[in-house]
Amino acid sequence: MGEMIAVENGSMGRVAYARIAPNEDLVQGVEKLCLAEGFRNAFVRGALGSLVDACMGTIDGKYLQIQGPAVEIVSLAGEVRQGDDGSLRAALTGVVADPEGNVYGGPFVAGLNPICMTFEVTLEEWLPAK
Amino acid sequence: MKRVVTTQLPRPRTLIHPGRFNPVRIQSLRSSKGRHVRLALLPGVSLFDGLVKPLAEMGITSASTTILGGYFEGVQYCVAPPDQQGQAVIAYSKPVPAGRTYMIFGNATLGTSMNGSPLVHCHAAIRTESGEVKGGHILTDTCIVSRDPVPVLVTSLDEFELRQAYDPETNIALLQPYKETTNG
Repeated sequence: MGEMIAVENGSMGRVAYARIAPNEDLVQGVEKLCLAEGFRNAFVRGALGSLVDACMGTIDGKYLQIQGPAVEIVSLAGEVRQGDDGSLRAALTGVVADPEGNVYGGPFVAGLNPICMTFEVTLEEWLPAK
Repeated sequence: MKRVVTTQLPRPRTLIHPGRFNPVRIQSLRSSKGRHVRLALLPGVSLFDGLVKPLAEMGITSASTTILGGYFEGVQYCVAPPDQQGQAVIAYSKPVPAGRTYMIFGNATLGTSMNGSPLVHCHAAIRTESGEVKGGHILTDTCIVSRDPVPVLVTSLDEFELRQAYDPETNIALLQPYKETTNG
């Protein structure tokens, strides 16, 4: 699935819910949830929780850091895809609120968004048509 | 530093929680099929009642929902600063009144509280009455749907259920998945 695909037909499969514990990474946590439940491709159907600090990418390759704790996740969308090498990669985008309620948005950088208290996430499996 | 843009790779912080580390880091369960409901939160009802009652009538007591935008009256939200009492790493602040508010996007999880009543955990991005865009933990019982219905996409969690339970590591009560289910 590494080539550029504009349209992919498929159907929705199973649904998984997880509570991910403190200090686990948001992005890799979602990937590991797919490992735990046997999903290879999935969409986020709902998510909320908090981060210690948040780190989002910028268009010029820099990092937007928002200091907590806690930084609350107030909106999250994204997907998990299996790459050509078989590995799983989550791409998550969202809006976070700092401890004063000020909001920031962007793509979450893998490995740099440790969960603060809890992260609740529901994934729906995506089954691409063969 | 509250917000900084840097070229240097930030180092994530590992915080110490009051309770014993739980070696299980991902508590997950799954259902074999997704079941969806499109719900309209009706004018004059609270976000809590608008979600809980129609879903309960369908036999749904555990669900993940997306609030697809709409106006509410009397919105109050909490932010999550460090716990001054030291009981947990953070504690919710006193409710912040936001007045007549546009909820831009929200996610709400439906489960069962420790006393057996329905529980809704909701985080949302909102535009407050003063025009500021803010975000936080929404108090769903004070949040009243304004003039127009608010659409919600519900993903029912079947074959397992969400229950609030005390989490020794963080020293707070959290929604967690359990195998028994009451979703009909």
